[in-house]
Amino acid sequence: MTPFEEELKKALARREPPAGFTARVLAGASQYDRERSAAAGGFLQKLRSWRLVPVLAALLVMTGGIAYQEHEHEARGQAAKQQLLLAMHIAGSKLHDAQLAVREVEQ
Amino acid sequence: MPSFAEVVDTHKAMVFSIGWHFLRDRVAAEELAQDVFLQLYRNWAGMKSGNHIAFWLRKVTSHRAIDLMRRRKSRPEMSLEETAEPTVLERMQDSLLASYLERMVASLPEKQRMAIVLRYQEDMNPDEIAKVLGMNVSSVKTLISRGLELLRAKTSRTLGADHRISHDTV
Repeated sequence: MTPFEEELKKALARREPPAGFTARVLAGASQYDRERSAAAGGFLQKLRSWRLVPVLAALLVMTGGIAYQEHEHEARGQAAKQQLLLAMHIAGSKLHDAQLAVREVEQ
Repeated sequence: MPSFAEVVDTHKAMVFSIGWHFLRDRVAAEELAQDVFLQLYRNWAGMKSGNHIAFWLRKVTSHRAIDLMRRRKSRPEMSLEETAEPTVLERMQDSLLASYLERMVASLPEKQRMAIVLRYQEDMNPDEIAKVLGMNVSSVKTLISRGLELLRAKTSRTLGADHRISHDTV
């Protein structure tokens, strides 16, 4: 290295940054951590609320299914009742015919 | 692996000085150094060793300083020829050759200036400088030798032959 380069090296020697530099950098790093945590918390909250959507959808489907089954059950019951009434009506008329036939025979 | 706080303490003078010698602006150099360390903090998971951290810091600081200087179009760069000759008073104030040389280095073109700063502040060889600046080694060698020529010429013309670093000694 030439004397000129030696002088240049002295001129370009490292300097210390202003006092409190490390503390300011570490404070900036802490601030970054806080912001990241807050952002992550918000994301989790959103995620939680979005996670409820399929649960609610499943509940809706189950409730609908049960209501539909009940409706089907009720409709079948009504049909069975109608059939029973019809059968009783037919049986009643047959019984009436039979009673009339018996009375005619007796007289 | 050292802790982040240890890394800041170990390398703060290096990072701040690259910014200071390149920008010649104390506030901007400190802001640059803080930004570089915060970027390091964000990328901490990717750091592999102490050497890797030192290389990363030099690289990021150099590129950020050059980008910052390019964005400062309101403060056009002065060429060596345009740099005012120091008056007698300034020469008294700049009684140390070191402070005069610092001013002269700051007037070099960006890449040349950064190559000189990394060579003489950080004692890096042209291979290392080439890796940091993303250039080939021969270009770095040319930048440094031309930068030295300009600085020598300017210094010998300004300070004269009576100065302890005469043309003959360089």
